[in-house]
Formats: sequence, structure tokens, C-alpha cells
Amino acid sequence: MKTFAESKFPGRLIAVEGLDGSGKSTQIYLLKRWLEAEGIKVYFSEWNSSELVKSATSKGKKRELLTPTTFSLIHATDFADRYERHLVPLLRAGYIVLCDRYIFTAFARDVTRGCPPDWVRGNYSFACAPDLTMFFKADLEVSLNRILEGRPKLKFFEAGMDLRLSNDPYESFKIFQGRILDQYLAMTREFNFVIIDANEPAERQQVIVRKLVSDRIELKKFKRRRPLPLPPALRPGREAGREAGRDEQEKEEDKIA
Amino acid sequence: MSQSHRFYGHGIPHVNAQDLGGTLIVVEGADGSGRSTQIAELVNWLETSGHATVQVGLKRSTLVSEELERAQEGNVLSRTTLALFYATDFADQLENIILPALKSGFIVLADRYIYTLMARDMVRGMNEAWLKNLYGIAPEPDAVFYLSVEPEELVQRNLSKTATLDYWESGMDLGLSRDMFDSFLKYQTAMGEAFRQLEKSYHFDIIDANRLVGSVTRDLRKKISALLAGKSGRVASGIRA
Repeated sequence: MKTFAESKFPGRLIAVEGLDGSGKSTQIYLLKRWLEAEGIKVYFSEWNSSELVKSATSKGKKRELLTPTTFSLIHATDFADRYERHLVPLLRAGYIVLCDRYIFTAFARDVTRGCPPDWVRGNYSFACAPDLTMFFKADLEVSLNRILEGRPKLKFFEAGMDLRLSNDPYESFKIFQGRILDQYLAMTREFNFVIIDANEPAERQQVIVRKLVSDRIELKKFKRRRPLPLPPALRPGREAGREAGRDEQEKEEDKIA
Repeated sequence: MSQSHRFYGHGIPHVNAQDLGGTLIVVEGADGSGRSTQIAELVNWLETSGHATVQVGLKRSTLVSEELERAQEGNVLSRTTLALFYATDFADQLENIILPALKSGFIVLADRYIYTLMARDMVRGMNEAWLKNLYGIAPEPDAVFYLSVEPEELVQRNLSKTATLDYWESGMDLGLSRDMFDSFLKYQTAMGEAFRQLEKSYHFDIIDANRLVGSVTRDLRKKISALLAGKSGRVASGIRA
């Protein structure tokens, strides 16, 4: 699997992977803020967010219609839509694209659900590999506690209830996450994950993340030639940045709700 | 009773191909090839002869058919997305209808199958090996009848039926020609070539469907009778072609 750089894309793709509750979303958000402040062309994309496919996915999840095969395929459809309509054009245009989860999430989850690894990898083989993949490795207990404290109502597929591991959603979630973690760890070498110790304080992790990114990617090549055009209603300068930040937070809150 | 099936590739997790009895019959062909008419005839004939049948077709899944329809109306999906969306639709029907029916020993009549999906995607530039891996979830049918009709004849039939040519069946998304008539002919020719390419890996029984409906029906009945007789002498004895 070739990276975007190896495939001669002008842009670069950075992905974060890890269990729910590993803190990866916080880290990639802080990375995004920094790159924006540096005047770099940056775009953020998250897993499972294609508008077109969303209604089918949520119907399938709500009504528990999904099998391991259709679960895998509908997520692949969602990814393909984002990949072809957003990621590829942005990468052709020289953007740094930040992905909160990439194809490895599918590899880990779908294989845990029983899909053959070669089949899943084959289905995603249209996608290039990230230029940098950071895997946020926290102790299983730490990730579990973060999720189970903050968001006590677990959804059916999220808890891996379809695997019939346990009748108790919490117990099921724990076993499921443990198996996903095993899958991630088994992929570390195959896909060159850089492991970030997610047990460290968030600030210290971010220092490591920023250093890693600037070592791996020649950032000044990705600067905007002109500053971002602002909507007319907004005053120039810092206001715009704060506005964008607020949107992110709102989106995050929507997701949790 | 009947023999079991096998999957083309990896199959479906937790499903043993050995448990799949029944008979899977696929009818392939373009719009206007007489597919639906022939399937209706076959269902009628098989049920009259005492066979339990189930029908499936493309874009009929509970899971994604509505969304697929909506997405197509807007023509906003790129080729990989469309390919995977159709594969999801197929997989949903496969697991919820085809496999249970085969396990129960039914005759499943599929109004198109993975081959149309693959041919459409190949015409749009998708890689054949990628498609074969994707559709490795499909069980190999007992018979695949490809109703072959010349593109010129297809045009006549479609126009006499609805007085229009379908946007997708004309491959208008491909930009082969701005003229719908020209595009239809080019697209159907390309689809025919894709089927010939697929025939190298999959076995199709090519039926000349330029002929009258009745003679195609007679052919199909004869072939299916032989197939059922071969699978189980006892079951087929009640059927006359």
C-alpha cells in the first residue's frame, strides 16, 4: 500500500487511530489548531460522516439490521464517499488532511466481527496509506473508564452487542474493545503506526505529536499563499479562529448528544 | 436432496456453504432483454409445479435501497462509492433473503446478480480483481442465463415500452455522448464487452433473446428442468418443460 507522498499527491494525510477514550480526537483537534495558526492548508475529516450514507447507516444501526458483512460494506461506502469527494481533491490541491480514524478502524473492527482480513483490506485497497499514522495507545482500563464514566448509555453496535459476547452492554463493550485493541496492535508493524503513549498528560502528548509532524512533513510547503478569506460579517484576525473553534466544539457536543 | 453450494471467494462470516441447499437461478440481461417477463413466467411455471420460489433483484434491500435511489437521482456518487453502495444492497438481500431461502431448500430466482454490478463498475473503470474480491461474498449460482440482445434491438424495445431511454441504462454519467441515443448504444455495447470479459471467470449460459418471448421461455424451461432433474431426480419428475 503506497502513501499519498509515494503516489505523488501534493498533499499529505495524517491519521490518528486508537480506541474510544484514548484521547486521539483531542490530540488531532489540537494539531489542527496549531496547523491553522501556522497558516497551513489543513482539512479535518472524521470517520462515519458522509451525509449521503448517513441515513442508511443510522437506520441500520437503530433497527439492528447490520451483519458483519453489511456493517463493513456500509462503512466502506461512507469512507469511499468522503475519500473520492473530499480527501482526494484536497490532497490533489496540496492540503494537509487530518483524519480522525482511517481505514485501520475498519480493519480492526470488521475483523473482530469475523470478516476475513483479506476481504476487508481488498475492499479498501482503493485508498492510499496515510503519510503518518499515530496510534494512541492507552491502557485498556483507562480508555474504558473514560468512556464508561462519561457516556453511560452504550449503543448496540458500539458495545459490540451483535457479537453476543455478553448480555451486559458494559461487559460486552469491555471484551469488544479488548479484541479491537489486539487487532490494532497486530497491525502496528504492517502499517507503520507510530505509537503515542496515551497514558501521558494531554499537553505532553501534543508536544510529541507536533514534533513528529514537523519532523515528518515539511510544513512550510503547505502554507497558504494568501490568508484565509473571511466571511464579510467577520472582523479580520482572531475572531475567525475563535468562531471556527466554537463550531468544532458544537459539533463534538452534537455527536455526544 | 440437492447439493450444497460454494462461495466465489471469502463468503459470509459464520455461514457454512455446505448448509446452503436449494437452487439459485440467475437471469441477467439489459433492460429490454425480457428479463422480468421471463422471470414472471418461470415463477408461475415453477410454483404451479409445486416449487417454493423466492425472488430477488437489485436495489431492493431494506437497508439501503431508498438511500441508493436518492443518491442516484442527484447523481452525486463517485464510482467507488456507488460500487460499494450497490454491494451493500446486494449483501443485505443475500444475507436476509437468498441465504435463508437456500438453507430452506427454495428455488431462488435472481433478477440480475453480481455480474451486472461488476460489469457496470468495470465500464466505469473499476478494477476487476477488486470487484472479484468484493463479490467473493456471493454463492455460485446453479445457473446463470444471460439474455443477450443486440443494442439496436434494445433501443427499439425500450422506446416502444416507455418512449424514453433510462439515464443510467444509457450510461449518461459516463459522458460517452451528449446524445442519449448514441450514448445508449455505446454504453450497451460496452456492457456487452464487460460481460464477455466476465465470462472468462464465471460461467454464463448465453441465450439469444433477440427472438420472441415464447421461444426464449421454452429454452429456459428446458434448461431448468434438466438442471433440477440433475440435482434430484425425484423432485424434478413432476416438471414438464
